[in-house]
Amino acid sequence: MPRLTVQKRFLGRYLALGLLCLFAFLWVTPLAIVVLSGMKTPIEQSQSGILALPQNAATLFDNIASASELSGIGKGILSSLIYAFVGSMAAVIAASSAAYSIAMLKIRFPFFWFLIIYSGTVFPFQMYLMPLFGLYQTVGLYDTRAGMLLFYSAIAVPFCIFVFRNYFVGLQREVIEAASLDGASSFQTYLRIVLPMAKPAALFLFVTQFSWIWNDFLFGQVLAKSDDVRPIMTSLATLSGTYGKGSIPQQMAGALTASIPTLILFFALQKHFMQGFVVNTAGE
Amino acid sequence: MKYRTLARTLFRNAEPYLYLLPALLLVGGLLLYSVAHTLAISFTDWDLITPPRFVGLKNYVDAIRDPTFTRSFSNTLVWTGGSLLLPVGGGLLLAVVLERIPGQRVLKTLIYLPAILSTTVVAAIWSYVYTNNGVLNETLRWAGLDALARPWMVFAPTNTLAMIVAASWRSLGPSMALFLVGLQTIPPELIEAAKIDGAGERILFWRIKLPLLRPITAIVVIMSVIGSFMTFDLVWVMTQGGPGRSSETLAVTMYRQAFIMWRMGYAGAVAVILSAIVLVFSIWYLRATLKRSAP
Repeated sequence: MPRLTVQKRFLGRYLALGLLCLFAFLWVTPLAIVVLSGMKTPIEQSQSGILALPQNAATLFDNIASASELSGIGKGILSSLIYAFVGSMAAVIAASSAAYSIAMLKIRFPFFWFLIIYSGTVFPFQMYLMPLFGLYQTVGLYDTRAGMLLFYSAIAVPFCIFVFRNYFVGLQREVIEAASLDGASSFQTYLRIVLPMAKPAALFLFVTQFSWIWNDFLFGQVLAKSDDVRPIMTSLATLSGTYGKGSIPQQMAGALTASIPTLILFFALQKHFMQGFVVNTAGE
Repeated sequence: MKYRTLARTLFRNAEPYLYLLPALLLVGGLLLYSVAHTLAISFTDWDLITPPRFVGLKNYVDAIRDPTFTRSFSNTLVWTGGSLLLPVGGGLLLAVVLERIPGQRVLKTLIYLPAILSTTVVAAIWSYVYTNNGVLNETLRWAGLDALARPWMVFAPTNTLAMIVAASWRSLGPSMALFLVGLQTIPPELIEAAKIDGAGERILFWRIKLPLLRPITAIVVIMSVIGSFMTFDLVWVMTQGGPGRSSETLAVTMYRQAFIMWRMGYAGAVAVILSAIVLVFSIWYLRATLKRSAP
C-alpha cells in the first residue's frame, strides 16, 4: 500500500512536469509568432500558416526599414536610448545623494523628507498629465528631448530613494564615522565610500529604471509629438491596434526591434532581476 | 574674517540639505506640483484656451451622472477582478506547483519572459492574436471550432475580457516569482513536521503555506489592484477605449476627456476620483512595505 502511494506520487510529479512544459511552451508561442511574422512579406503572411517558416529571414530588415519609415521607430530608438540611459543615471545620482543625507547625515526631520520624495510613487500617472502638458507648453519644454529627460529623471527618483534608504540604513555606520574622523568631507565620504558600497543597489535600480523608461508609452504620448522626440514605444504604437497603420509583418518587426534592449538586459543581468524581487519586497 | 567663519558655519549647517536638493526639486517641481494643480483643475471649467472658471463640484457631479463614466468605472472593476483571478491566483497556483519541480529555473524564465516586454509591444502582439484573420480565429478554424471564431475587439464585454487575458500574459510571471520568493522563506522543518503529522498536499496548502504567504500575498494583491486601476497603455493601443467607448477604463476616460475633448476640468475630476481609490491601496502598500523595512 505505501509503495503504491509512492509510485502514484512519482507519476503525479511527472504528469505535472509534462503539463507545465506544455503550458510554458504555449506561453511563449506568441513570441515565436512575432519572430516568424516579422520575417514574412505581407502577401506571404496572409497566405502561409501562422507557424509556417518564412521563405527569407532577411525580409525582417526590409520590414524594420519600412516600419521605421512609416512610424519613426528608428529615431524613437535613439531617443529612448538617451532617455533610458541618462534618465536612470540622473535618478540614481539624485536619489542616492538624497538617501545619503536622510540616512547618514545630521538633518532635521529625516523621515519627513523621505516621505515627501517617496510620495511621488503613490499617485496615478493621470494626476501628472495635464499640469505637465501645460507647464511644458508654457516654458518651451513640450516636444523637446530635454523636457522628456527631465521628466523621466523625476519619475524614477521616488522608487530609487526607497531602495537606497533601505540599503543605507542596513550599512555599517562605523565605516562612515571612521571616514569622517579621518577628516574626509561629507562629499568625499559620499563619493569614495558610500557610492562604491551602494553599487549593487545602484546597478539594480539602473536596470529597472532603464527598462521602465524604455517601455514607457503614456508620457511620450502626452509630452512629445515629433518623430525626433517621441520615444520608441509611442512611435511603435502608431503601427498597431484598431487604428494602426502598419501591416502585420511591419508591426511584428517593430515589436521585435523595440524589445531587443530590454531582452538583452534581462538575460545579461537575470540574477539582478531576481535579486531585485528581494529588494523590491522590502528587505525580505 | 568674521564673515568668512560665519559663512563657513552656515555652509556646514546647510550642507547636508544640499544633497536633498536635486531629488526634492525634481519630485516637488514636476510631480507633487502636478498633483496639486490637477486637484485645482478639477474644480474648474477649462479648455486650455480660455482662462479656467471655478465651478465647484460640478465636474464630479457630471462624471457620476455620465453613463460613459459609469461604464468606464465598471470596466475598471472588471479589470481589477480579472487581474486578481488570472495573474494573482494563477501565479500563486503556478508557484506552488513549480516549487518542487526539477526544471524549475527554465520554466520560470519562460513564463517570466513576457514581463520583459513593454505593454505597447504586448498590445501589438495581442492585436494580431485577436484581429479577424488573426492567430486566435485562424487556430480555432484550424481546429474545426469555427463557431467560436469571432471579432474579439468589437463587442463589450468580450473586448475587455480579451484584453485582460493579454495583460495577464505579461503580469503572471512577476506575481509567480514573488510567490516563489515567499515560499522559499517558509522553513522546511515546518513542512516536514506537518507531513509527519499526516497532512496531505491540500491541508499543507490551505493551513500552512497560504497563511505564511500572507505578507507576500498582500503585496501582490495591492500591486495588482493599483495596476488594474491605472490600466491605460494596453487599452489605448488596442482599441483606444472603443468601439463606441465600450472598453474604456478610468485612465482612458481621463486621457480622452483631457487630450481629445479638451475638457480639462472633467478630466481632472476623473483623475482625482481615480487617485482617491488608488491612494487607499497605495497607503496600505506603503505601510506594508515600510513596516518591514524599518530599521
